[in-house]
Amino acid sequence: MKIKKLRSKIAIAASLVLTAGLVATGLPSAQAAGLQPTAAQLAAWKGKEITYYFYNDSQAELDTTKAQIADFEKLTGAKVKLDVIPFTSLDTQLQARLAAGNAPDVGRLNNPGLYIKDSLDLEKYLGRKYAAEFLKGSTLQVTHPTTKKLIGVPYDLTVNGPFINVDMFKKAGVPVPTSWNWTELVAAGKKVQKATGSEYAFAIDKSGHRVSTVMSHFGAFMVDKNQRNVLPTSKFRAEKAIKIITDLYKADQAPRDLWIGTGTKYSSPTAIFLAQQTPIFFSGNWQVAALAKDAKFDFAAVPNPKELNAGGWPGGKFLTAFNASKNPDLAAYFLYYLADTAQMEQMDKSAFWLPTRVDLVGQGVKYATRSADMAVFQADAAKTPAAAYGIQSVPTLTGLIYNKLRDLMTEVMAGKITAKQAVQLQTEWIDAQLATLKK
Amino acid sequence: MNSSGNTVNRRRSVINWRRRLMPYLFVAPNMLIFLTFIIWPAIRGFQISFLDSIDGRTFTPVGTGNYRAIFGDPTVAEVAKNTATFVVFYVIISVVLSLAFALIVNEQQFAKGFFRAILFLPVMLSPVVVGLIWNDVLDRKVGPLNSLLQAIGGGSPGWLVEPKLGMIAVIFVGVWVHLGFYSIILLAGLQGIDRSLLEAAAMDGATRPQIIRTIILPLLKPTTLVILILATIHGFQSFDFIYTLTGGGPLGATTLIVQYIYDRAFQTPIQYGLGSAAGVILFMIIFAFTALNFLLGKKREAI
Repeated sequence: MKIKKLRSKIAIAASLVLTAGLVATGLPSAQAAGLQPTAAQLAAWKGKEITYYFYNDSQAELDTTKAQIADFEKLTGAKVKLDVIPFTSLDTQLQARLAAGNAPDVGRLNNPGLYIKDSLDLEKYLGRKYAAEFLKGSTLQVTHPTTKKLIGVPYDLTVNGPFINVDMFKKAGVPVPTSWNWTELVAAGKKVQKATGSEYAFAIDKSGHRVSTVMSHFGAFMVDKNQRNVLPTSKFRAEKAIKIITDLYKADQAPRDLWIGTGTKYSSPTAIFLAQQTPIFFSGNWQVAALAKDAKFDFAAVPNPKELNAGGWPGGKFLTAFNASKNPDLAAYFLYYLADTAQMEQMDKSAFWLPTRVDLVGQGVKYATRSADMAVFQADAAKTPAAAYGIQSVPTLTGLIYNKLRDLMTEVMAGKITAKQAVQLQTEWIDAQLATLKK
Repeated sequence: MNSSGNTVNRRRSVINWRRRLMPYLFVAPNMLIFLTFIIWPAIRGFQISFLDSIDGRTFTPVGTGNYRAIFGDPTVAEVAKNTATFVVFYVIISVVLSLAFALIVNEQQFAKGFFRAILFLPVMLSPVVVGLIWNDVLDRKVGPLNSLLQAIGGGSPGWLVEPKLGMIAVIFVGVWVHLGFYSIILLAGLQGIDRSLLEAAAMDGATRPQIIRTIILPLLKPTTLVILILATIHGFQSFDFIYTLTGGGPLGATTLIVQYIYDRAFQTPIQYGLGSAAGVILFMIIFAFTALNFLLGKKREAI
């Protein structure tokens, strides 16, 4: 009886010490690096609710997330409220929520640079070494620009690249490309369009991020790792890249309505590709799951065209915990849980994501289907030029730079300005933004 | 005065107070909602228009800086021109067409309810859905409208890619959405006109156009004034269906003042002060136009 009482006293004392430690310093890194939370943490988290601000490109992402949340709830006794937000209003809604004091606890974000001041310092909860578990290039966008502390984790790596409608290519007698340049891509698209009578030869997401990939192929970049505007050094190459895309839109060989007729909104020609109105669709690996589900034809991911450079463009989605969270340690642990090896591998396999964890990149993710497409994207990720990561040195400006490029592309397509003027205006605009940033 | 007289007086006084208080009690819940969700945010918006904030949590006083920034912004002139074009055409077309439809529907004997329901149907649709539907209908290459035009040799106008056509498209869709609402109000006004006046005019040999011009339209003036004011307010406030139809494009040709406010206040980079200042300017414009409409209407009535 005495021994029983003593044991329970020791247990209470131990849990008090652990709880005190947790309150004082957050989740000690040694514990966070482990796979299971401690008994004290579990006791503290039981019944607590956190909100996960989430968007998805495919149903598979949503289903897997729900399953992982259910497992997390079983593991911790905490509740996770899933807020599913449309991609197009991801930043608008989040900024309004933060302003209204209604911050979520954890978010899956596309543009984490906008939320640097609102993001939780993850090092405090997950340890200094935690950042090393992820690809270095990908962590740049979630590294605080001045303190250099980790304020989020890269959740998936995205690689931009083209998809082709294999059936249409076959029908036109055009071989599926294994390597090509932009002139060959355009020629192939036009040939297939002519042979099949499709509406368009080519379509690309209405996004400055996607256009940056084309610029990168031609050797044009906008900002380097030292936060300098490098566009003036590659003006002619940038002009060439812009022209190759805008000429297709001007000639009605790409969906002008979708780009020009949607104002300043993001739009993707996914539906146009699915309706077989274009044989080539330039987007990225996040489309694989949705295309695999909805395409009524044979499609394939093919390598990015190579000019001076090949490969994709750095991008991806990020997990961030917010410092306004009432349960920051639980939020940090939820983020840690979602981004651990087992959960990330499960998500990558089901949603056709590319991993950001060093261990998963090393061992490789084995996809049950569409493995050939994913291999193409993985190969292109490796070919992405180092200069492409330069833009991530200005995380607060990245999204704005892409949007400005998108808007100038619109003006070129509508014949309001030339590609040369667009490059000049983009250069001047970047200079002005960098000057403001340095103030 | 005896005690029973005092008691009666007291009772009367209590009843009087109750009677006086009753109307206020009835409107109190509505006023509370109005104060909380309209008046208080409006006051706060006015206050924020003199501040600068990029996150909605920290505010820096900038005096009239936001107003000066708006008037110094080269895009504002374009937005003002777009808004004025939209409002003028939208109001004129809406008022004329709703009058015409109200007159037609009022005369209808066959399937009266059906036609009124058809006319009113767009009002019940979400403006966001309306924008999306018309975006598909007006697609230059695969939209049903251009397919129809092509079939009759009308070419393929770029409704959503040519700036001028973009404005025509949003005016048309704006009118289409609200036409039923205005027509129903005018229909109610028409049904309030004493039929004996119309019968007497007909017996005196007045033709149908004469009856409309000399009896119906003058008697409908108060209702038409309401429609005019409502259409002006709706015109200035138009945003939702335009945002989903054109996103303010092509090349900003359909960006009206409310989208300008939305873009400044909610799109990155967020500028709450600038958005609020633009909101205050919009309020002043609508207030001025409404007052002008009202005063002109009163003046005409007096004449």
